[in-house]
Amino acid sequence: MAASPATVPERPRPRLPATARRVASGMAVPVGSVVLAFVIGALIVLATGGDPLAAYQGLLCGGLGAFCTQGENPALQVSSTIVFTIPLIMAGMAVALPFRAGLFNIGAEGQFLAGAIACTTIGIHLGTLPAPILLPLVLLGGMAAGALWAGIAGVLKATVGAHEVVTTIMLNYVAQWLLRYLIIGGPLQLASGTSKSSPIGAGARLATLLPNDNNLVIFGLPSSVYRVHSGLLIALLAAAVFAFLLWRTTLGYEIRAVGQSQKAARYAGVSVRRTIIVTMLIAGAFSGLAGAIQIAGIDHNLTDKYFSDTTGFDAIAVALLGLGSAVGIVLASILFGALHSGSGVMQADAGISSSLVLVLQALILFSIAANFLGAIRLRLPGLGRAPAARPPDSPAAALMTEAAAPPPEGSPSAT
Amino acid sequence: MSVVSEILHLLVTASLWNQVLAAAVLLLLPALGGVISERSGVVNIAMEGMMLTGAFFAVVADLGLHNPWLATLVAMAAGGLMALIHAVVSIRFRADQIVSGIAINIFAAGLTVFLVNRIYGIQDVGHASYSELLPSLNIPVLEQIPFIGHVFFQQNVIVYVALVLLVLVHVVLFRTRLGLRIRAVGEHPQAADTAGINVYAIRYGAVITSGLLSGLAGAFLAIGVSNTFVPNMTDGRGYIALAAMIFGKWTPFGAFVACLIFGLGEAIYANNSIIHVSPYLLSMLPYLLTLIVLAGVVGRSNPPAADGIPYVAGSE
Repeated sequence: MAASPATVPERPRPRLPATARRVASGMAVPVGSVVLAFVIGALIVLATGGDPLAAYQGLLCGGLGAFCTQGENPALQVSSTIVFTIPLIMAGMAVALPFRAGLFNIGAEGQFLAGAIACTTIGIHLGTLPAPILLPLVLLGGMAAGALWAGIAGVLKATVGAHEVVTTIMLNYVAQWLLRYLIIGGPLQLASGTSKSSPIGAGARLATLLPNDNNLVIFGLPSSVYRVHSGLLIALLAAAVFAFLLWRTTLGYEIRAVGQSQKAARYAGVSVRRTIIVTMLIAGAFSGLAGAIQIAGIDHNLTDKYFSDTTGFDAIAVALLGLGSAVGIVLASILFGALHSGSGVMQADAGISSSLVLVLQALILFSIAANFLGAIRLRLPGLGRAPAARPPDSPAAALMTEAAAPPPEGSPSAT
Repeated sequence: MSVVSEILHLLVTASLWNQVLAAAVLLLLPALGGVISERSGVVNIAMEGMMLTGAFFAVVADLGLHNPWLATLVAMAAGGLMALIHAVVSIRFRADQIVSGIAINIFAAGLTVFLVNRIYGIQDVGHASYSELLPSLNIPVLEQIPFIGHVFFQQNVIVYVALVLLVLVHVVLFRTRLGLRIRAVGEHPQAADTAGINVYAIRYGAVITSGLLSGLAGAFLAIGVSNTFVPNMTDGRGYIALAAMIFGKWTPFGAFVACLIFGLGEAIYANNSIIHVSPYLLSMLPYLLTLIVLAGVVGRSNPPAADGIPYVAGSE
């Protein structure tokens, strides 16, 4: 692995500030992975007789409001991207935080649904309460439900060593079937024959950021059509809390210590069991909050749309692509939000199935997980094994080894 | 009539157990694949995606070739190819095997719908005609046995194949040199390597086998139980198979028992019109049972020692 420094010619480089250089080298892997995924995705479209340029033009239009051909309103597309981004930020952190402790939370989806269910249940049954009381109540309820869902996996991991990947997968399905039961023939069902719940009370709803006014015209459309809601502020606040928790608190230190080496953490006086349980509880609260905000901000009731919800699975890609940092997660969420938003336009304008987005997402995951880029660079020494190739503290490498095997001794030496 | 007596009444009908066995086989095939893969030390949560890919290509091939047997081979090859991706990414590139498994599942879900759209233009794939489906096969004489005959000997041909494979996998894993090697590689690859076993070859073979078996299950689902492809038609069966594998403590027969229990849940679900409990609550049972098993209520369930840890030749 050690690139002999002597062979790399010393080139005069513009002196970048240290932080800028760190950011640039940190971005190399995720950005490269995304580019690689898009290239392979284009080849797949091409191989099946489609036009990749038209497909990506549709994605850009629906995602960022750029290069629209069918007269789509750019502002509306951006608004839609933001709406998709909001839950991804919080669910992404629900995956990223356990990563730091060496835990793999595949259960963000179940925790998301638990949060949505709790929010809806409280929002219906206490629907007459005023907003200052009810709104915190539904959001806290969602967080508590998500925490409970993840806490089950945390307790099982900490006490009997049950692998959290398996328990969280099982809990995902329990949540999905619970949701079906509740809104089809169960206590939350709106009316017989429907597969949706009653709507939550007015006091449980998050306000949209733009005034809900049909007469006020913004970017050529009445402001009431833009659905961006105040959940965006909550999501960004949650990202700040995540970063603060991880880097500025004792608990964050303990989480990272457990992730690096359980044995070392134990000798340092950290209770590994307690840290595992607390980490999962907080992660579940993040994801539960995402579910609650999705109900309170956008949907206002549970529908069969939630049967095929994938927020919690997208969150895994978000956390990996964002390299587990708050800023990275927000950026990755915007990317996946844009892909989700763009997929509809792509299907309508270019006739390419919106499922291409899933293919792209999988390719990004493969690329990051396998570090294909690193492998490609190693094959091409002429391309300069620049510092960015694999810095010793490459977050991607660190994240992957952390996630790979909780028992640190005999952990895979990746190089 | 109470729910309990309704279910009890249902439990004594032969047709229910006939359905249980068929449902169990649908889970057993990917579960056997999971057992083989994980016994060799490669975590495999990608059965869902491999099965879905198999289901899709089974229908495509059957509609094109009008031959269910060839279509089944195509489905197995498709499942095997998906498994090959998982193998290359997790063995060659030493990626996190869980991330790779998730990526396979997402890839399969996306690619199948994408290809439906490219090939057929619309969401409806079309239906294979009855004569082009994997046939049911009644075993002469034995099918006459009351109750037992209907349960065991009036089944789809894949059911018999799966039961033979069950015994075969058990024998190979625990009674042959190859099986010993697979298990050695999964428990202690360094020691196996020292003894002259090709760790990478065993792991590639095991993962690809899991893809072939999952693809076979996909074919059974799409052109045996059903006659068409619908998006996400595996509906979590690959994950239930994963649960069955753990439930059965990484043994073929243990997994089969788990598949029967989960199959029973599914068969009762299919008969929900005659019992009056929410089918959705029943559907939760396999997952809850697995959680209870994992909680250690029924004894510990431990994976192979080197499961999920990439092997680097020469490492300690």
